[in-house]
Amino acid sequence: MSSTDADDAIVKEIIIKAPAERIFEALVDPHQRVKWWGAGGRFQATHMESDLRPGGAWLMSGIGHERKHFTVRGEYRAIERPRLLEFTWLPDWQEDAPITVVRFDLEEKDGFTMVRLTHSGHTTERSRESHKGWPQILAHLQAYVVDKD
Amino acid sequence: MVTIIMRKRQNRIFKAIADPTRREILGLLRGGPYTVGEIARNFHTSRPAISKHLRLLRGAGLVVTRKKGAANICELNGKPLRAVNEWLRDYAAFWDENLRNLKHFVEENQ
Repeated sequence: MSSTDADDAIVKEIIIKAPAERIFEALVDPHQRVKWWGAGGRFQATHMESDLRPGGAWLMSGIGHERKHFTVRGEYRAIERPRLLEFTWLPDWQEDAPITVVRFDLEEKDGFTMVRLTHSGHTTERSRESHKGWPQILAHLQAYVVDKD
Repeated sequence: MVTIIMRKRQNRIFKAIADPTRREILGLLRGGPYTVGEIARNFHTSRPAISKHLRLLRGAGLVVTRKKGAANICELNGKPLRAVNEWLRDYAAFWDENLRNLKHFVEENQ
């Protein structure tokens, strides 16, 4: 697992010993998704609905912190099986936050697949071209604040 | 994932920084204090529009204003951004965990 500093996003990479098609399946198939989407009893997805086409809606719900119910939803923006999956991300626990975008890039080579996750603050293609993302701005401002203290 | 709880205050901060003009204002104020008029001169938008942006930034605690004679001096206060920074850090940990889960699930269920 590694993290890269992107200009404007959280980026994570992991190498999985499986074909990209198999991983793509685990990402988009609701039955499989709820089997791995969770973390050490702190939260666990229990239900997923998915209309897998560009513009189609997806929704995932489960049990989170202090047994509270959570729902996260969004829309598929790009589906290029099995190389790319991109969707918007709207969790119900952050109502006023900007819509963020989650993207999975899958690159298969010699039986291994490099999975790159990008979570960015861009809401539209236009904003991607014309503005830097908010995480980068935050990083700059944060550096400023730390310097000042 | 619900450890990533967004509180009202954080929501205000996110809203404040979601707008490109407001982010530019914050960027400008990194260079030092400016009066409202000086800020407005850096933008093509009208002064009332800039004042509105500044109100939102003040509401989020990201900008503080003080009077100096007839002018209002605006200063950056980056401290509230810490909360957002923590939010980003939580997400980074969240994706780490989920990718590891994905790896285990796929490698064990071929």
